[in-house]
Amino acid sequence: MEVMTNPVTKPFIKVAEIWVPENDKLVYAGGDYGSADAFARVSIVQSFSKGEGLPGKAWESRKPVVIKHFDGSYFKRAAAAAEAGLTSAVAIPVFAGNTLKAVLVILCGSDTDQKGAIEIWQGINGNLALADGFFGGATEFEAASKGISFSFGQGLPGAVWAANTPILNRDIARAGTFIRSGHAAAAGFKTGLGLPIPLPDNNPCVVTLLSAPDTPIARRFEIWDARPECVGATRKAMLIDGLCEREGALWAQQNPPVDPPMADTWKGPIGQVLGTGLPYVQREGSGLPAAYESMFALPIYRETDLAYIVACYL
Amino acid sequence: MSWTDIGELGAIPIRGSRIVKTNAGCIAIFRTTETEVFATSNKCAHKGGPLSEGIVHDRKITCPLHNWVFSLETGEAQGADVGRIKTYPVKIKNNRLLLDLDAINASAA
Amino acid sequence: MQKLVIIGAGMASGRTLEHIVEASPDAFDITIINAEPRGNYNRIMLSPVLAGERSYEEIITHDDDWYASHNIATRFGKTVTSVDRDRKVVIIANEEVSYDKLIIATGSTPFIIPVPGHDLPGVIGYRDLEDTNAMIDAAAKAEACAVVIGGGLLGLEAAAGLRMRGMEVTVLHNDGHLMNRQLDEAAGYLLQTDLEKRGITVMTNANTQQIAGDGKVEKVVLEDGTEIPANIVLMTAGIRPAASIGQATGIKVGRAIEVDHQMRTSDPDIFAVGECVEFESNIFGLVAPLYDQAKVLANTLLGIEDSFKIRELSTKLKVTGCDLFSAGDFAEGDAREDIVFRDPKRRVYKRLVIENDRLIGAVMYGDTADSNWFFGMIKDGTNIESMRETLIFGPAFQGGSASQMDPLAAVAALPLEAEICGCNGVCKGDITQAIEAGAHTLDDVRAKTKASASCGTCTGLVEQVLAVSLGDRFEVSAEKPVCKCTDLTHEDVRRLIKAQKLKSQPAVWQELAWKTPNGCPSCRPAINYYLLADWPLEYQDDLQSRFVNERNHANIQKDGTYSVVPRMWGGITTADELIAIATAAKRFDATVKVTGGQRIDLLGIKKEDLPLIWSDLNNAGMVSGHAYTKGLRTVKTCVGTDWCRFGTQDSTGLGIKLEKKLWGSWTPHKLKLAVSGCPRNCSEATCKDIGIICVDSGYQISVGGAAGMDLKKTEALVDVATEAEVDEWVTAFVQLYRENGKYLDRIYKWVSKVGLDWIKEELSDPQRRMELFDNFAISQSVYQKDPWADHVSNRANQYEPLADLTMEAVT
Repeated sequence: MEVMTNPVTKPFIKVAEIWVPENDKLVYAGGDYGSADAFARVSIVQSFSKGEGLPGKAWESRKPVVIKHFDGSYFKRAAAAAEAGLTSAVAIPVFAGNTLKAVLVILCGSDTDQKGAIEIWQGINGNLALADGFFGGATEFEAASKGISFSFGQGLPGAVWAANTPILNRDIARAGTFIRSGHAAAAGFKTGLGLPIPLPDNNPCVVTLLSAPDTPIARRFEIWDARPECVGATRKAMLIDGLCEREGALWAQQNPPVDPPMADTWKGPIGQVLGTGLPYVQREGSGLPAAYESMFALPIYRETDLAYIVACYL
Repeated sequence: MSWTDIGELGAIPIRGSRIVKTNAGCIAIFRTTETEVFATSNKCAHKGGPLSEGIVHDRKITCPLHNWVFSLETGEAQGADVGRIKTYPVKIKNNRLLLDLDAINASAA
Repeated sequence: MQKLVIIGAGMASGRTLEHIVEASPDAFDITIINAEPRGNYNRIMLSPVLAGERSYEEIITHDDDWYASHNIATRFGKTVTSVDRDRKVVIIANEEVSYDKLIIATGSTPFIIPVPGHDLPGVIGYRDLEDTNAMIDAAAKAEACAVVIGGGLLGLEAAAGLRMRGMEVTVLHNDGHLMNRQLDEAAGYLLQTDLEKRGITVMTNANTQQIAGDGKVEKVVLEDGTEIPANIVLMTAGIRPAASIGQATGIKVGRAIEVDHQMRTSDPDIFAVGECVEFESNIFGLVAPLYDQAKVLANTLLGIEDSFKIRELSTKLKVTGCDLFSAGDFAEGDAREDIVFRDPKRRVYKRLVIENDRLIGAVMYGDTADSNWFFGMIKDGTNIESMRETLIFGPAFQGGSASQMDPLAAVAALPLEAEICGCNGVCKGDITQAIEAGAHTLDDVRAKTKASASCGTCTGLVEQVLAVSLGDRFEVSAEKPVCKCTDLTHEDVRRLIKAQKLKSQPAVWQELAWKTPNGCPSCRPAINYYLLADWPLEYQDDLQSRFVNERNHANIQKDGTYSVVPRMWGGITTADELIAIATAAKRFDATVKVTGGQRIDLLGIKKEDLPLIWSDLNNAGMVSGHAYTKGLRTVKTCVGTDWCRFGTQDSTGLGIKLEKKLWGSWTPHKLKLAVSGCPRNCSEATCKDIGIICVDSGYQISVGGAAGMDLKKTEALVDVATEAEVDEWVTAFVQLYRENGKYLDRIYKWVSKVGLDWIKEELSDPQRRMELFDNFAISQSVYQKDPWADHVSNRANQYEPLADLTMEAVT
């Protein structure tokens, strides 16, 4: 495979930050702000009580929250965000059973040539319907998605719900219902990362991140399996799927896998997630795959056990 | 070994039994799973009850008369009971059941 | 350089080429011909491509650059028309390719079942990229629905992928459970429920009769008449080796192209590899042996000595979210032993098969972490004698002694919404809440939640919830479990069957953590009864779980003959019936005995004569008297107002009506009724399960009598005025007994357990009474039929021996 030295794609996600509960507030626990230094300075000194600001909102409502217009909203850092060219954000709460471990906040820019979508699907009347999301410039796709719902096992959200595992879909334009597929193809979407988000009320929730080839959500995705049923009793994680702009597919060619990459606790970025049980964000430093400068990783729990880790490299 | 075709595997229900009349008396063919069969004498070692009418479980048969349990593999009575029923070679080939006629005739002699 | 030509660019061919060019790049001048218009790709990963979890580009193993850089000439999209062995030439459409050595690697083709309509557009196999794209295109249409015929590995992977793409999917499988080659019933049950949860409809024991449509597929019709709409039908009912080239060239072909240990055919310059090959009567459908073959073939061609050996195989299902592993030989063998581990909460099933102290087979569903370890032991033939006790727990637990099998596993696994107390609608969550709030004894829980405070049948379960929550601080009372297969009592099992909606025996074995693979003579009949009583329309009676009498519908006697008792409604018969009985008695040389139940018994009937005597009695209009059954035996009567001076009501008529209403239904134990025309009680109603005494004002219904090893008088249930009310109350009472009684408890035992007060309370509520009345009718719609007639028409041959080998010998 050829080595890419100058990536031409522009990732959708610009900023990733982590907030953890301490006493009764959410405090800063790490983040990557890219080139948005002023926004970074404002952010690292923030803290949020329940219901306050975006992280606090996710904590209080106990589900993922999207915000698309910072001006005049409850978003505390609206001015700084506008200056940094950030226009929308999603906060994903990480629950282990009933306990909130952390809130991961992702912020995106508003360049109109950026095609990408982050969707939040929630259980309504036994199906998954679109609760909220932001879609960059793909307005028709957004309208189409608002009108449909997926049943258990159907489409990417339904498949993630049924399997209760993260799934990386390579053919998102032809995944799921007829109506949505047409618009997805028109919008140029190709890959979709679906994440099962466990919530304390057990209502199903799936977050999907849809990418078009030129403006991907991230340049490299990894899905790690940390369940004892897969890796055995000692805590570690096995790489089971992934796509990388540089390396191509990251999954093992043999079935069952022979010598797949493993991550041990505390070793490397995935090891940090295994050790702390919290999301992890890293900028530069050792342990990142070649040519990548920044990443964030999200732990996915089943009840109180860490089951999967999803990593995105920007 | 003289393998004789006695019928189709599907003629015996799973966890069920059918009998074959032979010179050595009636032989019961038991089907313990979809693809596994055993053959034993049909007469219980206790009081001659028809074993093929009993309930098949795992690889054992319980006689319907007085509940003696026999292993279908060894023919030995289980638990506190002492006794043994004769077992015979049987196999499945292409969904047909084959009994070893030589073993049966040796038994009848 | 010798010329090497390969027909077929599949996985076996690709691996062979890899070995050759790696070892000796200049050994051969290679040309590869492929009917598919492409080179080698990982065909096994087509299912994830169908599901969208991989792209085709990702699964290409040899792209154009690879072939070019290894100087391999390619002819993709070309079909070989023939091979001339004399001139050593392969002929494709307009070209001849000469060879020194030829490899045939044509693989397999899907088996298309030859039902009418199998050639309609829209019926496809599932083998290559074209098939996969056809499915993806079909899924892209509005309201798309697919039928998959064949519930093996491939069919299920396809079903999951099509479902992911948004289609309605139905899987048809002609056997009793999915993947029956690799899985046993319990694991098949787990897999089926996981797939059904995804909205995939699974129909087992489903046989396709035809595929119908006007110019294209529109629906699939089963043998039982069921119609399933479809705009695409996938045939995944097996594969057949593609050996036609072999046949055309004249080399030896059996089921497939025959090869020796070096993969050589009957022609010394022609080799074969892959699924088109037959080796020592074996053909191949999984990839691991093909890779072995490829290595042997490459070595042979390079002049290195090697020999092909068949090795152990394993399979893993590629449906995201279903972990399934199966390896080795787990269905056959002598003197083998099963070790089973179930964890209902985690939906885990593991089974190991051991023979001669060696592991020969393993099936794991839900937890495959140790699959490689077990597979290694199967391949190596490791002696496991010293680790037999802890083997099933995997490598991490060897050497330790702690048993992970928790006797409370089934109850611990129950979700909080599971209903524990049916009488008062109390669920597990209510009870655990009460325990957390301080209720630490059974009485406390009863007082706080009312669980087990009414009929008391769920007491065992409530105690187990207490034990699970409080651990050592609570002691469960030692009620006898059903049998050695479980620690649960009958009441527990009955309640859990209702609460968890368990509708099959494998469901019970799996969800309630049974310790044996398929039960034992104690629990199988009981579970069979509970299931048919609770789910009359969904569960099918399992004859192999019935005692001989109920299976053969006759009473077995000490010499292996049977007694046959036709029904005599209310003890009334006719001259014609008596003549038929006498004729049958003469014909079959029977002993004739009059029974206490007011009917006639014919003894000494041989098993093979049963269908004949039944037929004779059926022809005279008589049906089975169920003298052997756990169901209604008789309704004794006295003559009543028809004849008797003292009769207050038509006891005979009422008795006949009740018998006609209740016969045929299965109950926890036998049921005997009687109707007396006046309080002189000539039909001895007061020692029956249900007795009715007629009086001037109506009918006095009493229940719970006994006149066998125990002697007990009935207790008054209710007095009613009309026959219609008798029907209502008696039917509802019987149904209440059916739904709640412990298997083998007569009514008097059941009444003493639950209390007559509770029974009266239930039946006094008109709505509840009607509900029970209606449920009984539903059950009767399935079960009230003459078993004799049924067996004569449908099962007569089962009463005959399978074969008679004495014919040739001198008797």
